[in-house]
Amino acid sequence: MISAERLTKRFRSTRAVDQLSFEVRPGRVTGFLGPNGAGKTTTMRMILGLDTPDGGRALVGGRPYRSLERPLRTVGALLDAAAVHGGRTARAHLTGVALAGGVPVTRVPEVLGQVGLEGVAGKRVHGFSLGMRQRLGVAAALLGDPPILMFDEPVNGLDPEGIIWIRTLMRSLAAEGRTVFVSSHLMSEMALTAEHLVVIGQGRLIADTGLAELTGDGSSLEEAYLRLTAQAVEYRAGS
Amino acid sequence: MSGGLLKAEWVKLWSVRSTYLALGLAALMAIGLGALDTSSVADHWATMSSADKAGFDAVAEAFNGGQLGQLAFGVLGVLVISSEYGTGLIRTTLTAAPNRAGVFAAKAVVVGAVILVLGELLSFATFFLGQAFLARARLDVGLTDAGVLRAVLSTGLFLCVLALVSLGLGGLLRHTAGGIAAMFAVTFLAWPIARAMETWSYVPDHLLLANAVDVLTRATPPTGPHAARLPSMGMAWFDLVLYPVVFLALGAWRTTRDP
Repeated sequence: MISAERLTKRFRSTRAVDQLSFEVRPGRVTGFLGPNGAGKTTTMRMILGLDTPDGGRALVGGRPYRSLERPLRTVGALLDAAAVHGGRTARAHLTGVALAGGVPVTRVPEVLGQVGLEGVAGKRVHGFSLGMRQRLGVAAALLGDPPILMFDEPVNGLDPEGIIWIRTLMRSLAAEGRTVFVSSHLMSEMALTAEHLVVIGQGRLIADTGLAELTGDGSSLEEAYLRLTAQAVEYRAGS
Repeated sequence: MSGGLLKAEWVKLWSVRSTYLALGLAALMAIGLGALDTSSVADHWATMSSADKAGFDAVAEAFNGGQLGQLAFGVLGVLVISSEYGTGLIRTTLTAAPNRAGVFAAKAVVVGAVILVLGELLSFATFFLGQAFLARARLDVGLTDAGVLRAVLSTGLFLCVLALVSLGLGGLLRHTAGGIAAMFAVTFLAWPIARAMETWSYVPDHLLLANAVDVLTRATPPTGPHAARLPSMGMAWFDLVLYPVVFLALGAWRTTRDP
């Protein structure tokens, strides 16, 4: 379970996230939607304790992230697959993360196997394709076998095989009873993956609803999304 | 700071090639240039000017090649933290270990300990090799001679101080090129500022890390017109402690800010 309570973040004069409240429940994939610059990444960074909110708070499993003793065992996150030192091997990268997070290093070969990278464990990451880096990022997120998982734009730039892999993985993680929170701006992808949606624009909540409710009138998710965020985007373009 | 964080920093340090490259270059420069320098002095001592002879110090001469090596240690200190910001890895590190001060402290302990051990090894190796060459002209000194052990030990200690100052600057600036430039300025190129102040005071000269190292790493007291710029032995030790304390504090402070 993830909860945001009147979460607020200002960058100079702009409110990147403004009084944002929502809950992400376990057992289903929750999509996090919004136009570029809507505040999705900032919200995720606040949930992970990377950005300090100017107001409100974010809780994971009922506690602020930075108060968690071994956070990798509570939350696994993939923010940016490129955020790896290219000179390290996949194994060394994961070993460093596991040690820092207090997770047994015996988990490293396990997660490498889980994402299908065991064959390149000893290879330097700078030779990896984007899809392989994405798998490495997912492996890091799975290290602590956490009940909560967060992915920021996980399918960006992936080939169809990679997209299907991520989609299947997220659905199976949710089916195991985990909380899965995934941001995206690809509507067709979200329509296939998410059961529940949190939609924001200009840092504010626009909708917190089931996929079925949003597309119930026969419109596609894309149409429903554009209708919802029309004002948010218009305002931004005019400001 | 937990044992896990220390182990993580240890693994991170030894799993990138830049570490081996920096340490290898430092050793090559210090030992190689030190050997060439001392053998040249030993061969040409008879024809050297009296001013050069007066300024000669058997320990400092042996580590003359060390300055290029020092640069490599500094670069390593910056990279240990700036590469995490450059690649974005810092976000993964801080989600795994949200105790930001602990992450920075673990880096300081691991880098400090590794460079202290390797720095002393390099210092002693260079010293003994240099003395072997200087012995050809009977210019060599032994560890038990006055000031020699202090000079050799502080040569290694300075390498550790340099790496820690660099780590602080890397953490403060979060940028590799900026951190290396700042390290260069702070440790090697700050002297024109002190020179400009000489009308009023020699204190800025005495606060220069390079001047403090000049005093500490020679066995014999410095002589000549430059001597007034150099701090006393006590002041030099103070400088050697002051620099890492100040820059590590700055780096730790910035690391506790949002990445």
